[in-house]
Amino acid sequence: METYQIYSLTSAVLFVIGMGGVFVSRHFIKKIIATIIMGGGVFLVFVSLAERDALTFADPVPHALVITGIVVAVASAAFALALARRIYQLTGEESFTNDK
Amino acid sequence: MSIMIDIILAVLAIYLALQCLFAPRLTQTVFLFFAFGLALALAWVRLGAVDVAITEAAIASGFLGVLFLDALRDFSLAPPLKWDNLEVVHSSLATKNPKSLFLPRLALMLGLGLFLLIALEAVWKIPEGGGLTAAAEALLPESGVEHPVTAVLLNFRAYDTWLELGVILLGLLATFAVGGIKIYRKPPVVADDILLRQVILFFTPVLFLFGAFLLYFGKSGPGGAFQAAVLWGAIGILLHLGGRPVFSMIPRWLGQLSLTVGLGFFLILGFFLLAGGATLFEYPPAYAGVLILIIETLAAISIAAALTAIFANLNQMNKEESNQIESTN
Repeated sequence: METYQIYSLTSAVLFVIGMGGVFVSRHFIKKIIATIIMGGGVFLVFVSLAERDALTFADPVPHALVITGIVVAVASAAFALALARRIYQLTGEESFTNDK
Repeated sequence: MSIMIDIILAVLAIYLALQCLFAPRLTQTVFLFFAFGLALALAWVRLGAVDVAITEAAIASGFLGVLFLDALRDFSLAPPLKWDNLEVVHSSLATKNPKSLFLPRLALMLGLGLFLLIALEAVWKIPEGGGLTAAAEALLPESGVEHPVTAVLLNFRAYDTWLELGVILLGLLATFAVGGIKIYRKPPVVADDILLRQVILFFTPVLFLFGAFLLYFGKSGPGGAFQAAVLWGAIGILLHLGGRPVFSMIPRWLGQLSLTVGLGFFLILGFFLLAGGATLFEYPPAYAGVLILIIETLAAISIAAALTAIFANLNQMNKEESNQIESTN
């Protein structure tokens, strides 16, 4: 079994864990973290395939895409966090509730 | 033997992700998230993606972890009236008919399991395309740098990087819009702590130098604008926490300039290249190295400023809220 195969299988598991987390977890912060774990799974596929296609060096295009992707994911997570804190500030709720 | 390390790392990453989501307390979640990011960074080193590993450890684990830690202050250390709320939520959950929750959970588990199988099969059977390694290798001498990832980021796919700077700026503007733009007025009052001052005095030059090194080293090895930007952004966060918020100390136009200079320079450069008859971001090979270094420096300044501003804005939200609570009490 090759290195890249281990990590590409891991990536599928991480993605599903993150997706389950988005559904199951209630708190805003946990939901945001779950989406980041999903993203980590996607990035892991890219990088493990870059390793598979390596010649003298690993395929640099997926690497560049992943670096870009990480920064964009962080920017959107920061925005989500700002929204979550604003909701908490205005309503005092820290999860989506259907009661009201 | 090396396969064993990979398996252990993979299991560790999965375990940390699960623990992170099912930890009972929010503080544990955030700290396990730090650990998860670092485990993922190690996995990337094993896959030969050192640039990605540095970015992950610095931005995704470090910077985002700091934002979450900052957010924890209002979520988990909330005033006592929050606990009553929580108990109400819990009791309403408990009294809700358990059978009504059983079916959705079963459906969710089944769906996730099915999706996992599909994803595993899809990942296992991704066709061998050969990738773009050969193309990148052939054009590397023309790119002006020696490191293939930097070449792709700032030359071959400069368009992506340019738009990414725009996304970061957009993220900053969105957090401004959410929080209301009343920041950078009065510096937060922080007790004059000798230890804090010494930490700031010691780490500011170290972080700056290390960032500059990573920026320059990106030409020939792992490193570059993003990695440097996070280190420089860390200086801004450190200064902000030490009661010296950068954006309220420098003039307003300078702050705005440093936020937009990366995006703006890219845009102007692209315009001049287009006007000169080349395609967008098609650098003349003779000047490519110098141009890339200038772009990287300006982009790093912009990203560092944006990260600092995002942190400062989110941190300020916290302050305003605690002030509000105090005033209502």
